[in-house]
Amino acid sequence: MMRRTLLLLLAGLTWPLLAAAQEITFDARVDRTSFEVGASIRLTITLANAQGSFSNPDLGGLTVVQGPFESSSFNYVNGRMSSTVSRTYVITATRPGTYTIGPASARVGGGTLQTQPITVKVEKGSGATSDRLLNEGQQRDRDLFVTISLSKSKVHVGEQVVATYTLFSRYPNLELSKYDLPALNGFWAEEIDRGETTWEDQLRTVNGLQYRVAVLKKQLLFPQRAGTLRIEPLRITCVVNRSFFNRGSQVEAMSNATELQVLPLPPNAPPGMQGAVGSFSFSGALDRDQLRADEALELTLTVNGSGNLKLIEAPALDLPPDVERYDPKVNDRISISGNGMSGSRSFTYLLIPRHAGELVLGPFALSFFDVQAGAYRTVQAGPFTVQVTPGSGSGQAQLSRPSKADVEVLDTDIRFLRTGDLDLRPAGHHLLGSWAWWSGMAAPVLAFAVFLVWRRREDQRAADPAGRRRREADKVARRRFKDAHDALKRDAREPFYTAMNKALHGYLGDRFGLGAAELNAAALERALGERPDAAALARQATDLIAACDMARYAPLEVKPRQAMYEEAITLVQRLERP
Amino acid sequence: MRSIAFALCLLPGIVPAMDRATADSLVARATAAYTQGDHAGALALFDSVYQHWRSAGLAYAIGNCHFKLDQVPEAIVSYERALLLEPGAEDVKANLELARQRTMDRVNELPTFRLGGSWDRWLGGRDVDQWARRGLWGWSLAFVIAALALLSRGTLRTVGLSIAGTCILFALLSVGLAARRLRAVEHPAAGIVMQPRVDVRSEPREGATTLFLLHSGTKVSLGAERSGWVEVTLANGNVGWMPAAALQVI
Repeated sequence: MMRRTLLLLLAGLTWPLLAAAQEITFDARVDRTSFEVGASIRLTITLANAQGSFSNPDLGGLTVVQGPFESSSFNYVNGRMSSTVSRTYVITATRPGTYTIGPASARVGGGTLQTQPITVKVEKGSGATSDRLLNEGQQRDRDLFVTISLSKSKVHVGEQVVATYTLFSRYPNLELSKYDLPALNGFWAEEIDRGETTWEDQLRTVNGLQYRVAVLKKQLLFPQRAGTLRIEPLRITCVVNRSFFNRGSQVEAMSNATELQVLPLPPNAPPGMQGAVGSFSFSGALDRDQLRADEALELTLTVNGSGNLKLIEAPALDLPPDVERYDPKVNDRISISGNGMSGSRSFTYLLIPRHAGELVLGPFALSFFDVQAGAYRTVQAGPFTVQVTPGSGSGQAQLSRPSKADVEVLDTDIRFLRTGDLDLRPAGHHLLGSWAWWSGMAAPVLAFAVFLVWRRREDQRAADPAGRRRREADKVARRRFKDAHDALKRDAREPFYTAMNKALHGYLGDRFGLGAAELNAAALERALGERPDAAALARQATDLIAACDMARYAPLEVKPRQAMYEEAITLVQRLERP
Repeated sequence: MRSIAFALCLLPGIVPAMDRATADSLVARATAAYTQGDHAGALALFDSVYQHWRSAGLAYAIGNCHFKLDQVPEAIVSYERALLLEPGAEDVKANLELARQRTMDRVNELPTFRLGGSWDRWLGGRDVDQWARRGLWGWSLAFVIAALALLSRGTLRTVGLSIAGTCILFALLSVGLAARRLRAVEHPAAGIVMQPRVDVRSEPREGATTLFLLHSGTKVSLGAERSGWVEVTLANGNVGWMPAAALQVI
């Protein structure tokens, strides 16, 4: 300011000389009309041989990087006097294109002078920033903008993404008064603690402009659902250029909105998959391997690795039903950094075995989606074996022992097929009414009818005494003369007569109680008693015996043997009849 | 004894189209398929045997296959058939109960005098022919005892004749029960609703007043039949007409 005043003073003093001396010119020049994004050119506006002020030209979208610098010169050569006043801008462009630098105007004397407009061409070059976020941010506000950048643009559900909120400022003095973090719909967010927000040491050049950069915030985002998830812009309010004398002015800036493509997890999820995404290992430990029944045991299952650790739930324990369990205690050792969430989460279960014996716990499985492999993985811990010895009655850990419990029904299902013979029967045929059945029913009736007929005949016989005795006498005779009959059949002479003799003697002796010596006609007649034919029968019997004896000892047969046999039979029958 | 009765059944030239050995091997294959979870394959095999052979175990197996294939009404039909062949069978009743839980209609049965499953089981006999066989035995025994009694004298004779009379009564009762069983098996008076939803109407024609709605799996008693319509009675006593095509007779 001082210098300019001094110059004007000097100019004022020399004015009469100058006015008469030289021609007045006013022009604008650039050192080149074509340059690359990020490079800069010099615009020089020169007023020669005149005294006056001139306005800044419209730069038409170009940005002043340095300047304006003013200079003036005064020459006196060979009596000719010349003076120039020039103003120099270092300008740049943040985007390629064709720009027109408007005319500058100067008031000289009573008139106005104008420069010619200058057209410059800006090409995209190596110095241009290719980051779309920065380009867009710079376009929104060249001096102050915020970007939200994501570490990945396409992730699976549950896969972690780092979101970085960065402030770019060209104001030398900036105070952040407030910022509204965007609402995160569909994400589970975890702040990355970075301490105090400070300016980065290095300035960053974006399309030739230098910015001070501060990372406002870093977040770990875990998308919770598939689809395109949108993060709304961040809005900040700053006070710039505040100083002791100046209250500063309030400036607002908005960030870009950003979108994240979230892919669903593949459909073939293994059982027990609870949404863990990342890369994990699974281990377990028991605090002891031998204890008494009803004492407590601690089982610790630890998930180690990186991923959405804080979203991992306690694995469901598939334990024998007589092991009492309590809800697990969760112990996290999780660090959250720009690389994501990593560390370990462990679940400590308190278990109380109720019965003695060898107790096998596990194996326990953890299923997760491995982002690197793009597939599900299942890792196992265990199995662990504990020896449970019978609990002592006075042990301090003795709890109320559940003596017996109902069998727990876990699920219902139909009973299994019948095993063994299905006892198949031909379709449509039944025993009742069949041929076999009717026969079976008729058979006993017929048998019973036959029985009744037989029995009736028996009764009739029993009712006729004479006939009965006759039949009995006949039976006796046939029995007595059985040997004789046999001999007769064989046509044996000697045995026939011997048998006849023996039979007659035996019969008569038995029948009338006579010894062999007493067997004569008179004795027989006496024995026969009152019978009218007693004499005839006695004589016939003795004759028959005599004939038999004669035939036995002499070769003389009175009658044929058949006739003799018949006669003996008839005799016995008659003797038997009353 | 049973095999003799069985042989007697077959005697008068009634030889089934599928012989017993084939049937047994098909049943074995079907059981293996069922055990391995191939319920559709098992069902086809069991069904082919059921064309020619009957037993409660077979109908029960078919019901199980239908149940596993989520064909609840068909499963109920098969279980009811198994119960007809072997009243009061515990396994069949248990599975039928599970199948009924999957149907939509809950029909409150009218309270009836029941002695429970064992009574059903005893009254029905283990299979259809059991009462016929008991009748035959009773009948034969009666005549044997009567004959023995006639041969003896005094008190023994009186006692014997009384026992024979009792046996005759038992035999006649058995034949009656056998006839009742046979009628129940041959002419079942109940059906299962097969269509997902059926209007039961007041008259045997379309458009008559809808009295109530029935859903698949509900058991109804069958009454008169008229031009493709059947009069059905629910267990709670409600009566109406429904198309015969919507039913499967047990």
